[in-house]
Amino acid sequence: MFPIIRLVNRNLTISINPAFLLWQIIFPVIYIFIAGFAYSSLIQEVPFGSKGLAYPAFLASGMIGFNIMNSTLVSGIIIWNDRKYGMFEQIMSGPFTRPNYILSNICTIGIIGLVSAALIAVIGYPVFFDSIQFSLVTIPLIVFAAVTGSVLFGSIASIIATKLRSSEGFNVILNTAFLFFAFVSTAFYPASGAPEPLKTAFYLNPLTYLVDVIRAGIFGDITEFVILEMGILTIIATTLFIIATKLLTKLDF
Amino acid sequence: MFCINVDRLSKFYGSIKAVNDITLSVKSGQVFGFLGPNGAGKSTTIKLLTTLIQPSGGSLKILGIDAIKNPLQVRNKIGVVLQQPSYEPTLTVEKSLEKYGMMWDIPKSERKIRTEKLLNEFDLIEIRKKRNEDLSIGQRRRVQVAREFMHDMDLLFLDEPTVGLDPSARRKLLDYLKNKVNTGLTIFFTTHILTEAEYLCDEIAIIDKGKIIAVDTPTALKNRFGKEKTIKIHLLKNLQEIKSLLSGIVDCKIEFNTGTDITIHSTQSELVLMKILRILNENKIDIDDLSAVPTNLEEIFLKMVEENVSNY
Repeated sequence: MFPIIRLVNRNLTISINPAFLLWQIIFPVIYIFIAGFAYSSLIQEVPFGSKGLAYPAFLASGMIGFNIMNSTLVSGIIIWNDRKYGMFEQIMSGPFTRPNYILSNICTIGIIGLVSAALIAVIGYPVFFDSIQFSLVTIPLIVFAAVTGSVLFGSIASIIATKLRSSEGFNVILNTAFLFFAFVSTAFYPASGAPEPLKTAFYLNPLTYLVDVIRAGIFGDITEFVILEMGILTIIATTLFIIATKLLTKLDF
Repeated sequence: MFCINVDRLSKFYGSIKAVNDITLSVKSGQVFGFLGPNGAGKSTTIKLLTTLIQPSGGSLKILGIDAIKNPLQVRNKIGVVLQQPSYEPTLTVEKSLEKYGMMWDIPKSERKIRTEKLLNEFDLIEIRKKRNEDLSIGQRRRVQVAREFMHDMDLLFLDEPTVGLDPSARRKLLDYLKNKVNTGLTIFFTTHILTEAEYLCDEIAIIDKGKIIAVDTPTALKNRFGKEKTIKIHLLKNLQEIKSLLSGIVDCKIEFNTGTDITIHSTQSELVLMKILRILNENKIDIDDLSAVPTNLEEIFLKMVEENVSNY
């Protein structure tokens, strides 16, 4: 077995536990089925490209992006725990290289991101069933967004994990950053109706691009703007991945 | 055959010389003890030998492989138990061993056999289902050492492996290591506990301030540096004049700890003792207790480190 696969196996074993899986399912279910339908009386239809979406369908598709982001927190937690509990040094004194370690983390978050996206897609399927427009282009688009988004948010979590030693600092900064990403984005509400400064803030947030691309994939509304968003998402993900890799490479013992 | 060859190895952190120009060779199939006070450079040396950090200068061959050029090749053949604890908090003891074996690419069936064997050998059966985060420091240490034996290796680095272990677990571990050496394994072992080094090691190096100040077998070190013996005498009565009575004795250093306790250090202890006994007898001074302290590695270690400090 290749060293990266062995490390991915180990990463998945230590990060996936019943509580994590339950949280990954329950949290979106509450949002999609409770918040989604409760807010339906206030928000009847959300404009999306050339069509209008029912709010539960809009929210369910947004939750896919949100869940990808949430699940990739795992990569930061793996790195932080490995440093705190001495496993980083132990792994590096074994039959592995730093690139092995970094790539295994990327693969881990890619897998978790994809599985997470698939999970929410299955859960949310009944609510966006009517509006779905899959094609040969849209499915690869969703997979691309899921993997790129995982790498992007996984890199952010990894950067924070390499910089912070204290558990309090790590948790506070990670949660604050991800809270901002979650609520200042188009995951829960459309940008169109928001005040101008908030709208600008939405588009300073990579989760907005991720969610927009996923929605475009699910509802088959690929515009030039979505392609631009894909480009931006790729550039940010690549940049952050390079920074995270450099920081991990420089980590001292 | 030598399995570690270190030539003029150095590691500098700015102006700090953590390891300063050390040269040593370790023969295969033995336990090599690496001793030194806190901050002497033991852990830095281990990190250099295990390729965790790159040296600032010198050359390093591990198991015949150039460790600076081919670190991964070296790491594939060695085992490392670092000084700091290393564990996955959420995994159980059993799962820790099993997953560690998987990380070393040990086939599943073999992993199962080795896990059971190690759980038995390291007295971990009762805690096999406990999570690492719920273990005591000593239990965690035992798991950490046991885990390293999940994979095959030619050379094992142990950085203070007995820290946190109770005396019985410590002795069991040392005996386990002795048995492993008998099957051909070479062990590079650091410890603060000199009795452990004396019990386990075939050869010993003493490092202080980043430099190696002695390398030899424990017996040879004792012969070289342990000529001075210590004799302790406890008198029945407190006598003020004892100091003046013994003042004429040469070739020794006499400490009058209290009026009744006398400690004598001498390289000619037998001769000195005879002279003292004669004086005590002539003056009718009764002895309550007399003992000779055998030279041990700890004394030699302390003496050498002290001498090294005074040379700076």
